[in-house]
Amino acid sequence: MAKRGIPEVNAGSMADIAFLLLIFFLVTTTMDKDHAYIRSIPKNVIIEIPPEPVEKRNICAIQANAQNQLMIRGELMTNPDDISERVLDFYRENEAQNDPINNFPMYSRISKAEIQAALNLAIDEAEAVEKTPNASQDIIDFKYRQVAEWEKKQSAIDLLGKNVLPEIASQAHIRIEVQKATEYNLFATIQSEIEEAIFELRNDAALTVFKESYKQIQSRLAMDKAPVDRDKMELLKILYPDRIIEVTPRK
Amino acid sequence: MSKFRKEGGKSAPAINTSSLPDIVFMLLFFFMVATTSKESDPTVRVIKPNGVRTQDMTPYKQKSEIDFLYLGKPLNTARARAYAEMGMEYMLFMDNVVQSTTDDIYNVNAIKRWKLDKFESKPARMNETIEGVITCVKADEGAPSGIIFDIRKELQDIDALKIAYAVNKQDKR
Repeated sequence: MAKRGIPEVNAGSMADIAFLLLIFFLVTTTMDKDHAYIRSIPKNVIIEIPPEPVEKRNICAIQANAQNQLMIRGELMTNPDDISERVLDFYRENEAQNDPINNFPMYSRISKAEIQAALNLAIDEAEAVEKTPNASQDIIDFKYRQVAEWEKKQSAIDLLGKNVLPEIASQAHIRIEVQKATEYNLFATIQSEIEEAIFELRNDAALTVFKESYKQIQSRLAMDKAPVDRDKMELLKILYPDRIIEVTPRK
Repeated sequence: MSKFRKEGGKSAPAINTSSLPDIVFMLLFFFMVATTSKESDPTVRVIKPNGVRTQDMTPYKQKSEIDFLYLGKPLNTARARAYAEMGMEYMLFMDNVVQSTTDDIYNVNAIKRWKLDKFESKPARMNETIEGVITCVKADEGAPSGIIFDIRKELQDIDALKIAYAVNKQDKR
């Protein structure tokens, strides 16, 4: 038998196969990313004792009716693009100095020593509760959450590099009240404007404290979750918390 | 002049196409990496409102920690009219429902089943509780907000406590 070389495989149709795959992927995939605002829904709990009503100054109510008319803190608005400025005012009015007369949320200014004292107290309390016989796990967890909160504040003030940590009233929140027939477009605009205001507040703080933009911190945090960035984000969240309540419409 | 005359009528040599598959494969891989696959084509028309400072949902999609819900008028105009007569203008479309209606259009009552079914069929690598799985609502800009809150109520009942409002990303004016 004569020796024969292995015949070469014809690769001419390889390109066709690859093209076919390529076109399949082109058709079934999308390039555009999904963008959204994430909000949390409050847990369904049975309330036995109704909580005390929130002070009016601590609410930034954004109301919209069925005719798509807007009202912020009892004031009629014609242009929905102005919402973000009103929200900025809500946070900034008393930030430098508390004014008891104006109708904006108060700030507390807590010093390093006070945070340390509160942290020690919280740790002592938590340990005491843990040692008491048949203490419920809920209370122990609650106490340890408080300890964690004070620890966060401590690292926040260290990062801020100032003597005091300004903190908006814990009840201060933004409240969205729409009616059932309000257009979704307006609802989304309200969400967008709130997000814009929070971004601006945090961005300004990030630029002055860390000399970098909020976006940089955000993207780095999403990429590699470094503890440094997490602490930075924690500080920005303490300074400007985004507490948003969406009220279920009754009519 | 003879400089430019073709000699002997030689035909042009064939182009070597052996590297064409490589080029096409490169393109293919680019598209595979750069895109995400569509969930499903909704049977309702959704024109999303615009918004700034949005959050990208891609990481959640990759971890399959997100479900999509569409709210809009039925695409089929005859059906849209029929539903409008019954007093239902805006309808829901849910992706990958296990049991579907003939026209894939639902009302709010179907959300609980859909969400729980979807949670059951999540891949094993997804280790979020149902509380952490986002429900992304893609609603038409003309839809009434009341339906959004009806959806929220349904989700609250089954402890799915994360909702996202989809918008078109717009750069700051």
